[in-house]
Amino acid sequence: MRTVHFDGSFQGWRDAARALLQERIAPHELNWASGGDAGLFDEPMSASAATDGPRIRIPRQLLEELEMAARFRTDQRWSLLYRVLWRVAQGDASARMAGDVDGSELHSRIKVVRREAHHLHAFLRFSPLESGDGPRHVAWFEPAHDVLPWAAGHFAERMGENSWLIATPEEGVCWDGQELYYTRPCPPQWQQLAQNAADPGGELWKTYYESTFNPARLNRSVMESNLPVRFWKNLPEGMLIPELMSRARAGAQRDGQAERVAGRHGKRIGRQPG
Amino acid sequence: MQLIDKLSVLADAAKYDVSCASSGAPKRSSKGKRGLGATNGMGICHSFTPDGRCVSLLKILLTNFCLYDCQYCVNRRSSDVPRARFTSEEVVELTLDFYRRNCISGLFLSSGIIRSADYTMEQLVRVARLLRDEHEFRGYIHLKTIPDADPLLIAEAGRYADRLSVNIELPTETSLIRLAPEKQVLTIKQAMHTIHQGEAEASTEKRAPRFAPAGQSTQMIVGADDTDDRTILHTAQSLYGDYRLRRVYYSAFSPIPHSPKTVPFAAPPLLREHRLYQADFLMRGYGFSAGELLSGPGNLALDVDPKLAWALANREHFPIDLNRAEPTMIARVPGIGVLSAKRLVDLRRHKRIRFEDLTRLRCSLEKAKPFIVTQDYRPSLAGQESAALRQHLSDGTPTQMALW
Repeated sequence: MRTVHFDGSFQGWRDAARALLQERIAPHELNWASGGDAGLFDEPMSASAATDGPRIRIPRQLLEELEMAARFRTDQRWSLLYRVLWRVAQGDASARMAGDVDGSELHSRIKVVRREAHHLHAFLRFSPLESGDGPRHVAWFEPAHDVLPWAAGHFAERMGENSWLIATPEEGVCWDGQELYYTRPCPPQWQQLAQNAADPGGELWKTYYESTFNPARLNRSVMESNLPVRFWKNLPEGMLIPELMSRARAGAQRDGQAERVAGRHGKRIGRQPG
Repeated sequence: MQLIDKLSVLADAAKYDVSCASSGAPKRSSKGKRGLGATNGMGICHSFTPDGRCVSLLKILLTNFCLYDCQYCVNRRSSDVPRARFTSEEVVELTLDFYRRNCISGLFLSSGIIRSADYTMEQLVRVARLLRDEHEFRGYIHLKTIPDADPLLIAEAGRYADRLSVNIELPTETSLIRLAPEKQVLTIKQAMHTIHQGEAEASTEKRAPRFAPAGQSTQMIVGADDTDDRTILHTAQSLYGDYRLRRVYYSAFSPIPHSPKTVPFAAPPLLREHRLYQADFLMRGYGFSAGELLSGPGNLALDVDPKLAWALANREHFPIDLNRAEPTMIARVPGIGVLSAKRLVDLRRHKRIRFEDLTRLRCSLEKAKPFIVTQDYRPSLAGQESAALRQHLSDGTPTQMALW
C-alpha cells in the first residue's frame, strides 16, 4: 500500500493521479492523504514519472465530472475518483456511467454537489451594510460540500457593481464590483461581519413571506424536502416557519387568508357605471 | 397606509395565482455593468412556504381594487377584504431590495381591474419599464396580461417581460359565464393569440426586439365548478397546441373568506391537483395525449399515478424488454423516468441491462417490476392480475394523501 500525499486540491490530485497512471499503479495499491506531512514509511513519488511515461488521454468531460465529484465532502473522496479514472484509462468506459457500480457513486456525488450549489444560490441571504468602506452586502452560509469558490461567481452576475462578501465556516469570497477574491480559511473578521449584520429593513421580507403563505394548504413534508431544516437557522424567514405551521394547524386552515390581513377592515366596491 | 401594510394585503391578494416559475429566460448578466440582476434559463426557488410552495418571485398585485366580480376570487368587488394600492415606484423599490438580498429572482406582477383594462395594463407595463429602463434590472419579470387590453399594450409588455400570462380561469365557457361574468373566453384567447404572434415574430426575424422569451403560461382553477379532469386535460392540451403555452398551472380552488354561495365551501383534495400536474407533465414531456390518460369522462385516479394507471389499462404493451425497446416506450414504464430511460439506452450500448442496473439508476423498482424484462429477470405471472397489482402499488388511501 502506498500513501499519496498532496495539497488536497483537485489540481494537486490530478497531477498525482496522472503520474500514478503512468506508473500503472492500480487503485487498490493506493491510499490518498490530502494535506498533512509525509508518513515515515511512504515512498516518495518520483518526479520523473510524470514526464517520461506514456501520454494518457482522458475525455474532457470525464475530467469535469471528476472535478465536480471532488467537491463532495467525504473521507473517501479521492479513491473513488482514481478508481473511475483508472478504469476509463484501461478502456472500461462504463466506469463513468450511472448504471455502473463506481459510476453510480460518481454521479450521485455530482448530483449532491450540484444540489448544494443550488442551495447556495437559493438560500443565501445578503444583509445590506450601510456604513464602512467594506462590501455593501454580506452573507453567512454553511455549505455541506466544497461548492463556494465554484458557485460564488453566480452572485457577481446577479449583483453587477454592488460589492458583497460571503463568509462560511471554512472559506470566504468577496466581490468588490470588479474582481472576485477567494480565501481559505475564512478570516474571522469576515465571519463576524457576516454573522452580526443588523438588518432593520428585513421586516418587509418576513411580512411578504407570511402573507404569500396559504395556511389552507399546509404541507409540512413537501416543504421540508425542498427547504431542509438545516437551512432555517440562517434564513430571516426561518424563525417564522414553526409559528406559521402551528397557527395554521390551530384553525387557520379554513381559508387561505393571512391573519394579518384578516384582522383589517374590508371594503366592498360599488359597481361603477359603464 | 404604510408600505409594509400594503405589502401584507397585496401579497395575500396575489397568492392564489400559483405560477411561480422563473425559468426559461435568456442568459443575462450584470457582471461588470451598471444595474442589477441575471437570468440563466434555470429558475431558482429562494424559499418555500409551509404550504410546500416555492417562492421564486415577488408575487404581488399592483392593487386589489377590482371592478370585476369573479366568484372564486378573493378580490372580487363584492368581497369584504382590505384594499390597497402600490405606486409603481414602491413596487420597483421592493423588487430591487428583495433582489439584492437574494430573496427573489424577479417580479410577478398582476392587478385587479381598475378604471379599464387598458388603464390597468398600462400601469403594469409602467412598472416593468421603470425596472428595465431606469434601473437596468436584468432579473426575471412576469406580467399578468389583462385580456381586454389593447394588443399594442400587450406587445409593449412583451418587450419588457420574460413571461406573460393570461388566465383561462375555468376549464369551460359555461363555467366562465356563470362564475366570471365580466370575462369572456373569446378575449382571453385573443390575448393568448396576440402573445403567441409576438413570440413567433420575434423568433422568425433575427433583428426583431425580443418578446416574452420565457413564453406564456396560464392558470386554471380546479374544483370551483364541477368540470371533470378529462375536460380539464383536453382544454390544457388544446391550449398547448394552439398557443404554444409553456405551462398550464392548475390551482385547486382554495376557500376564501366570506365565500359566495356560487362556489363550494370546501376545497377539492390537493391530491387531485397533484394528479393533474402529473398528467400534464406526461403530456408535455412523455408524449402522452389527454385521450390516452383518460379515455372516458371522469377524473384521474387518486390511488395510483396517471402513468401507472395507463400501464395497468394497457397491459398488452407489457412487459417490455429493456434491452430492445424504443427509448420512448421505456419512458412509459411506471417508475422509469425520461432521464433513466436515456441512461438505460446509453448503458445498453456497452452491456446487457441486468436487473441490478435499475437499482443503481434509482428507478422505482416496485412499480417497474411487473412491466419489464431484463437479461436476468422476467416478471412472474402469478399475482399479476391488474386489479391485484393496482391494490399492491397504490399510494395509500386518498384521504391520507390529501393532507387535510
